[in-house]
Amino acid sequence: MSWTARLVLAAVLAGAPPARPPLALAQREPSSIVIVTGQQATAPVPTLMEGPQNTLANYEIADHLFLRLAGVGPGLVTAGDRGFVPLLAKSWTRRDSLTLVFELDPRARWHDGSPVTARDVTFTFGRARDQTIAPRLASATRRIASVEAEGDHRVVFQFTEVYAEQLYDATFHVAILPAHLLAALPSTAKAWSSFVESPVGSGPYRWVRREEGQFIELAANDGFFLGRPGIERVIVRVAASSDARINLLLAGEADAMDNIPPPTTNLARVEAARDVRLVPVPSNNLGYLLFNQRAPGHRDRPHPILADREVRRALVLALDRDLLVRAVLGQYGYVPFGPVSAQLWIRHGAPSHSPQDQSMARRLLAGRGWVDRDGDGIRENRSGAPLSLRLLVTTSSLTRTQMAAIIQEQLRQVGVELDLVRVEPAVWLERHTAGDFDIDFAASNQDPSPSGLVHSWSCGGPGNVGGYCDPGADSLLQRAIASPKADRRLWHGFLRRVEEDAPAAFIYTQTFVFGVNRRFRDVTIRPESSWSAIWRWPAPGS
Amino acid sequence: MTAWLLRRIAQAVVTFAIAVVLMFVLMRLAPGDPLSRVQEERVMSPEEIAKVRAIFNLDQPIHEQFVAFVKGVLQADLGVSIEHGLPVTTLLASRIVPTLLLGGAAILLNFTVGLWLGVRQAVRRGSREDRVLTALSLTGYATPSFWLGLVLAWLVGIELGWLPVAGMQSPLLSPDAPWIVRALDVGAHLVLPALTLSIVTIAGTMRYQRSALLEVLRLPYIGTARAKGIPERAVVWRHAWRNALFPVITLFGLWLPLLVTGSVFVEMVFAWPGLGSLAANAASSRDYPLVMGAALLAAGLVVTASLLTDLAYALLDPRVRYS
Repeated sequence: MSWTARLVLAAVLAGAPPARPPLALAQREPSSIVIVTGQQATAPVPTLMEGPQNTLANYEIADHLFLRLAGVGPGLVTAGDRGFVPLLAKSWTRRDSLTLVFELDPRARWHDGSPVTARDVTFTFGRARDQTIAPRLASATRRIASVEAEGDHRVVFQFTEVYAEQLYDATFHVAILPAHLLAALPSTAKAWSSFVESPVGSGPYRWVRREEGQFIELAANDGFFLGRPGIERVIVRVAASSDARINLLLAGEADAMDNIPPPTTNLARVEAARDVRLVPVPSNNLGYLLFNQRAPGHRDRPHPILADREVRRALVLALDRDLLVRAVLGQYGYVPFGPVSAQLWIRHGAPSHSPQDQSMARRLLAGRGWVDRDGDGIRENRSGAPLSLRLLVTTSSLTRTQMAAIIQEQLRQVGVELDLVRVEPAVWLERHTAGDFDIDFAASNQDPSPSGLVHSWSCGGPGNVGGYCDPGADSLLQRAIASPKADRRLWHGFLRRVEEDAPAAFIYTQTFVFGVNRRFRDVTIRPESSWSAIWRWPAPGS
Repeated sequence: MTAWLLRRIAQAVVTFAIAVVLMFVLMRLAPGDPLSRVQEERVMSPEEIAKVRAIFNLDQPIHEQFVAFVKGVLQADLGVSIEHGLPVTTLLASRIVPTLLLGGAAILLNFTVGLWLGVRQAVRRGSREDRVLTALSLTGYATPSFWLGLVLAWLVGIELGWLPVAGMQSPLLSPDAPWIVRALDVGAHLVLPALTLSIVTIAGTMRYQRSALLEVLRLPYIGTARAKGIPERAVVWRHAWRNALFPVITLFGLWLPLLVTGSVFVEMVFAWPGLGSLAANAASSRDYPLVMGAALLAAGLVVTASLLTDLAYALLDPRVRYS
């Protein structure tokens, strides 16, 4: 073939009209859904999702397979007994302020046809409350004193103290396991391996197969007692690269994708696709600049700069946090008031964050002796030490690395020198945990319960690596947790105190944006477990 | 020859052992915590951290960790991946077939099309075809594989809809489908990643082959062959090409391990479930057992490829004899 002919052929091929992908099988099977995600579930079995297995991927699959006694309702209110919806338990009542009684739904069946009984519940909580089996769950359920069966369909929970989240603790942390299949097994990983390879649950979908590194397939549980799922097959496909995930969605080889990541050009690309709609979902993600109040490397000493509350407040006021969010997250995020992600119910009615006020920031710094004495634009203290800090950022987060550059510039405007220390995730965590930083651009994923704030924002909190300690704030926090009712005002009192103390500059909480093929209607995505409501989606065309 | 082979194998074993020991020590000396990736999603309590460290021997001194590792290797037990929670041998085994498929297809394309084009360039030296092929191959060589992969996925997969954009098989295809249907499905998924990997590597093969053949074509025995009236095609392929293969064999030896573990970006862009991305991810998250498993495999491949290269010299060139 001559070169001219080859060029003509190439031109024809290049100009060929766009066709629908012939291999987009997802389009041909109306009752299937292919979800593409970044990580594959390895052990989606309650009480085994501990340590390294405590991953979102495992939870997402487990939520299709296993049911809890009750689910958190649409308002995501975790306090009190009203904001929950029945699942395995058809109802619950109180005998007294320390005793909850659950009546199991007699229609509930395991995927092998056996009935779900009170024995399953006591067996599961026996494992969950065993520190040697499930240390994380044991800690989360530490205020449950006992779980006992009364007959086949009644379970009685006894608590150690009165508090608002008793029902939440009894239902959210642990989905129920089949005792008739597992009670006789020893608690070793090896003994459970065959169950992990093919779990049997009571949820709307049953296990079909797992292709390592590729996908997991689930099929509708035809006998599901709460109603047969409209979508018959759920395939959770894995692509670690977000580019690959977006390509799969745009090519029609996947129907849905969770959390389209920044930059915002990714969102624009998906938004431009005719077949895909964007679904915003409040996230549990919170990004903040954590000020270290202890000297890096010398935890027994106060930090020479950041132990001073006025300096921390000045740093917060120097930042235009709204600009940071707009620049990097666009419309899909906002500045929180205190350490509260978009998913926590206590965010409703909370005051607004303080806006940028650089003149106040300058006054506060000058009032604490930080003045630019040599005219180089950077403030110094009376002994000539510059107001220079290091900001630790992990390279795994594009959001945080992009924001860090803007933060550096905003702080420079008030005479603060900020060195960016970009490190890979493994190094970041090591330094974060050891408190080896001045300021850490941290991010955390929060549980739906605000009680989890104890972990990082109280004096003895195990995750309190910044050394923040205010007994007044602790007292407010304990009052809010111990309140028998869902009382936002108590929580807001605690948040105000934290904002005044400025242990961190709370920068953003995201709205995650999911992409879902338009052939699916009445799409509901749950903030606390993205795809767990898929069984309620109607089949396309139905 | 046997004595040489035994000596060469002994050398390979020592090289392999040194590589593995170095990898073990360097990985542990590198900053970073093996539990980092795990804690990115949900923070672990100190009790949980202590329990996990004990399970993976991370609370032991480095020499004791090494002894446990060697004992495990001798029993064909490489431990359990921290991140995946699965035995390392299971994980590696599940990735071997996809890796060999992609690497094999890329090598096949590389050393068939690449050699053929290299030969064409040599025999048409200075022609327009030679110049165009040189320009094209060098452009491919200079193109980052992840960028080329993204462009091909967008153009061929999304815009034209001719081929799948990612993965190794269509998950909606029944496992009970006829083998030919499943093979075609895997083949369709293989095209773009293999093409990407080949385009960015084929220039090396072409350039090596071109220059090696040009050297040989200048030798007096080629002139003699032509003077005897042997057709040019036979002169090139039968007399010159075999002697021009040696540099390419060296290149093949270097490429072999790289194509198994070095296609990280291509595997990522096309969500190909290979060893490269698994190993890179493990290194990034400090998943020591999995990193060491992948290192064992990679080191084994390097020394084996090196050994095979030396043997190939002996087989192809009667002048080369090892004693």
